Amino acid sequence: MIRALLAIAASAWAGSVAVQHGTPIDQALPFLCALVALAGSRDATLLGVPLLILAENVFFEEQTRLLAIGIVMSGVMAITITRSAESGAPASRRLMPERPAPGWRAAGRRVLSRRDAGVPLALILLLRWIPFPQLWLREIALIVIALAIYEVLHRTPFATVVAVLTALATPAIPLRTFALPLAVLFVALLARFFNAPRLRWEWPSAVVIAFVALFFPWSGIMARAFPFFLRPVIEERPRLTLNYALNAGAKTAIDVPGDATALIVSGANVATLRRGARLGRIEPGGIEVRIGDAADWGYMRRDHFYGSHNPLPRDVAGRIRGWGYNAWIDGAGRIALPPGARTITVMGDASLPAGATLQVEAFELR
Amino acid sequence: MMLAAVIALAMLPLVALRGRTLLSFYATAITLDGMVAFIRNRGGYTFDEHLGLVALAVLHVAIFALFLARGRNVRFDATRAMLIGAIVYALAIPAMSVHPPDGDEEHYLLVTESLARDGDLDLRNQYATHPDVPQFPDDPKGRNGEQYSRHEPLLSLLLLPGWWLAGQRGAIAIVALFGVLLIRSTVRWMEDEGIDDATIRAVFPFFALAPPVLFFATRAWPEVPAAFFFVEAIRGIRAHRVQRWIPALLGLVFLKLRFVLVAIVLAGSLLFERRAKFARWQLIALIVILAPLLLMAVVAGNPLNVHRASELLPESPYRYVRGFFGLLTEGMSGIPFRAPFYLFGLFAIVRWRHTPRGFRIGVVASLLYLFYLLPRPEWFGGWAPPLRYVVFLMPVLALGAASMWSRISRGAIALVSAWTIGLVIHGLRYPWRHFHEFTGENPIGEWLSLQYGSDFSRLFPSFIRANEARWIGVAVVLLLIAIGLRRWKLDLAIPLFSIALAFGFAYGRRPGTTIELEDRHVKHEGGRLYPDPFTFMRTEYRGGWVLDAGHSATFLAQKGTYDLDFITGLGATIELGGHALEVRPDVRYQKVRVTIPESGPATLRCLRGAINVDRLERVHE
Repeated sequence: MIRALLAIAASAWAGSVAVQHGTPIDQALPFLCALVALAGSRDATLLGVPLLILAENVFFEEQTRLLAIGIVMSGVMAITITRSAESGAPASRRLMPERPAPGWRAAGRRVLSRRDAGVPLALILLLRWIPFPQLWLREIALIVIALAIYEVLHRTPFATVVAVLTALATPAIPLRTFALPLAVLFVALLARFFNAPRLRWEWPSAVVIAFVALFFPWSGIMARAFPFFLRPVIEERPRLTLNYALNAGAKTAIDVPGDATALIVSGANVATLRRGARLGRIEPGGIEVRIGDAADWGYMRRDHFYGSHNPLPRDVAGRIRGWGYNAWIDGAGRIALPPGARTITVMGDASLPAGATLQVEAFELR
Repeated sequence: MMLAAVIALAMLPLVALRGRTLLSFYATAITLDGMVAFIRNRGGYTFDEHLGLVALAVLHVAIFALFLARGRNVRFDATRAMLIGAIVYALAIPAMSVHPPDGDEEHYLLVTESLARDGDLDLRNQYATHPDVPQFPDDPKGRNGEQYSRHEPLLSLLLLPGWWLAGQRGAIAIVALFGVLLIRSTVRWMEDEGIDDATIRAVFPFFALAPPVLFFATRAWPEVPAAFFFVEAIRGIRAHRVQRWIPALLGLVFLKLRFVLVAIVLAGSLLFERRAKFARWQLIALIVILAPLLLMAVVAGNPLNVHRASELLPESPYRYVRGFFGLLTEGMSGIPFRAPFYLFGLFAIVRWRHTPRGFRIGVVASLLYLFYLLPRPEWFGGWAPPLRYVVFLMPVLALGAASMWSRISRGAIALVSAWTIGLVIHGLRYPWRHFHEFTGENPIGEWLSLQYGSDFSRLFPSFIRANEARWIGVAVVLLLIAIGLRRWKLDLAIPLFSIALAFGFAYGRRPGTTIELEDRHVKHEGGRLYPDPFTFMRTEYRGGWVLDAGHSATFLAQKGTYDLDFITGLGATIELGGHALEVRPDVRYQKVRVTIPESGPATLRCLRGAINVDRLERVHE
C-alpha cells in the first residue's frame, strides 16, 4: 500500500514537472501519470509513466501527441485488465510476483482490493474526469455504482468492460440518466442471483478497453458518437464561410466558387428531429438535406445530448470542440455539390418547426 | 521482403511456445497488429511509416521475448535459442544493410574480395577499383610492393565461403552464423554454470537480440566471432577440454592481435586448473599466443603488425580514468546508454563471491586487455557501432547478470527492457547512426537539441568531450551498480526514473552555462565544423565552429558574462549582444570576456576575418 501511494505521488509529481503543452489533456499529465500508477499494480505497466512523459515532450504536433498519449494509456489499461500475460500464470512466473493485495473486508470476505478496483476506477477517472467535472458529487455516485457492477459481476475483465462502458455512456445530466447504470446494476444482480456463468472474456475485454482508452482525449465523443472513431480522419480543407440561416420555406441563391467541392450545412433547434426528417433542399439536382446528412449544430454537447434524437451525420464535417468528457463535434455535414453548378439555391424545408433553421455554413474548397 | 518478414515473425513463436502460451502470444500479437492497422488506416497523425514498421516488428519480438520468459508452456534449449537468433538476425540483416559497409568493415570485405578473386592478400587492385575505401600510410607493405590490410586476415578468410555464395550479403551471413553459434555457446555456458532455465529464458533476448551483439552480428565486424571464440575458450577451460579451448584460443588471437592480451591471462588461468599437466599446457598456451605474432612477423615484418611496442607502456592516469568512467557512463557510447542490460553484469561484479566461476574467469581474463584499451583514444569504439572493443566481453557480463537475476530490481529490468527496445528500433531504422562523429553528443541529445533549440546534449555525460554532467553520471552509475539495481521491497525504480526524466526535460529546455558552439542546438548561418567530419583521431582535437566574415551562430543563453574560447589565425571582428570585438591572430587558443545582455536567443557574428569559436563559458561573478 505504501509503495502504491508513493508510486502514485511520485508519478503525479513527475507528470507535473513534464507538462509542456497547453491543451487540457497535456495539462492533465500529472493526473494521467497518477492513474497509470493507480491501475498499474506491476512494474511493467508503470512504464506508462515515463512513456507518457516522453510522448508529451517528443511529439510536437498536437494530434500526433494526443494520439501517442492515448496509445500509452490504451496499452497500460489493456495490459492491466488482463492481469498477466496469460491468465492464471503462477505468481512465480510473473514479472513482479506480488503478495495478495490488501483489500476492504466485509463479513470476513474480501470485497474489493486496490489492485482489483484500481483498473475500473482508473478507467472511469480517465474517461470522465478530464476536465475536472463540475458535478463531481454525481460523478462520485456514478463511480460507486460502476464499482458495484464490477463487484457483482465477479471482478472479471468482462465486469470491468461492463462497468466502464456503462459509466462512459451515462451523461449524468440530467440526473434521471442514472437510470442506465442502475438498470445495468439491476441486471447484474439478477445474473448473480440466478448464478449466471462468470464471464472472463479476457482478450475481447482488453481489446474493448484498449479501444476506449485510445481515444480518451475525446472521450465525450466516444460516449456520444462512437462511430466517429471508426471512420477515417479527413483532413480539413479550406472553407469559404457563408453563414446563412434558412427558416421553413426560406431560400437563397449562392454563387459557387470554381474550386468548391461540397456544401457544409447543419441545423439549429432541430435536435429533437429524428433520422430522415427533412431540413431543406439544394437545387439544381433536387438534393434533399435530411437529419442524417447533417444534425443540430450543438446536439452532441453533454448538456443537450439526452434530449437529442439526431444521429451522427453520414459525412461528418463538424469540428472537434472541447476535450475529454466535454468533447463534442458540431453537427455539420458535408453535402456534395451538384456537378457543374455555377449557382445553387438552398431552401429551408417547409416542415421545419418554428425557430428551427437550416444553416448553410460554408463551401468546402479543393 | 515484407511478406518474408511477416512469415518469419509469425514462425518465431513456433520455435519455443506451445499450447495456451502460443495462443496467448498470437492473441496479443494480433491485437497489437489490429490496433496499429486501425490507427494507420484512420490517419490523422504525422509519423515516419518506415519507423513504425520497424517498431512493430521489434515489438513483436519483444512480446515474444516476454512470453518466452514468463510463459508456462515453453520449450527452450540452446538449439532453439540458436534458431530464434537465426530468424531475428535474418530479419535484421536487410535492415542493417541499408547503410553500406563503413569503417573497418570495408577493409575486411576488401580483403575477402581479394582472397575470392585474386587468391591473395595484396589489395592494390582492390584499392584501384574502390577508390572510396581509405588507405592508411602505415599499412603493411610486402617485399615486392604488395599492399596489405592493417587488419588481421582471419575474419576475411572466414567470410570467404559466404562471399563465394552470395557476395557481400553472404559474407555478412557468415558473421550472423557466428552470432548464432555465440548464442548457442552462451546458453550452454549458462546451463553449465548452473543458471536455471527460467532465468536463461529471461536473459537470452537481452543478450542475443539486443545491442551490441545484434548490431555486430549483422555487420562485417570480427567482434561477434571473437565473442564466440572467447566463450568457447572459457567453456573449454572450465570443462578441461583441450580440444575445445585450443582451437578457440587460436581463433581468438588470430582474429585480432589485441586478443592476445586476453589469451595471456586466460592461458595463465590454466595454472590453477591442472597443476599436474602444467608444463605441457603452458607450452601449448605459449605456442597459441606466439603463433599470431610469428605470422605477423612473417607477413607484415612486424610481430605487432601496425602497432608499436611503446603502446604497451603505461600512460597517464587520467587516460585510464577517462576510458574507465567513459565506458561506464558516456552518453554517446557508454554501457548505460548503448547496452543498459550489461549494467546488471557490472552489478554482478560488485557481488563477486556470488557469481559463477566462469564469470570470474571471463572478467579476470579481460582485465589486461581493458588495461590497454582504456587509455587509448578510441576506447569508446572509434568509427564503429558503440562498445565495439568490449563486445567480446558481453557473454561474460550476460552470465553475471543471469547469476544475479533474482536480486535485481524488477522496475530496473522493466526500464532496461523499454530502453533496449528503443535502442533496437532506433538502430535498425537508422543503421548509419551507429557511426557517430566523436563529438560527445549522442543521437537523442542532438535530436532534442535540434527540436528545442536548447542544449540537451549537456544532460548526457561525456568523457569524449568532457562536460559538467560526467561526474554526476559517474556518481549515478556507481550508485546504481552498488545499490540502485538491487531488488528492494519498496521498488520505486520507475517512479524515480520518471521524476529524473521529467526534470531532465525541464532542465534541458533552459539555456546552459556552457555553450559548445559546434553543437546541434546552435543554429549556424554559414561556417563549418572543425575538425572536418571523418578526421582521423578526431577526439584528440579541440572541436569548434569556423566562422568566416558574414557567418553567424545563434544559441539560447542566459544573460551574463561569458568567457569565449576561440582560435584565429587571421584575426577577426565579432559581434555578440550588440557589442563588436576585435580579436588578434594567435597560434594558440585565446579567451576573451563577453557579455550577453538579455536571456534568450543570442547571435555571435563574424564581421571580418575568420575565427574558430570553441565554447562560451559563463563566468560566476
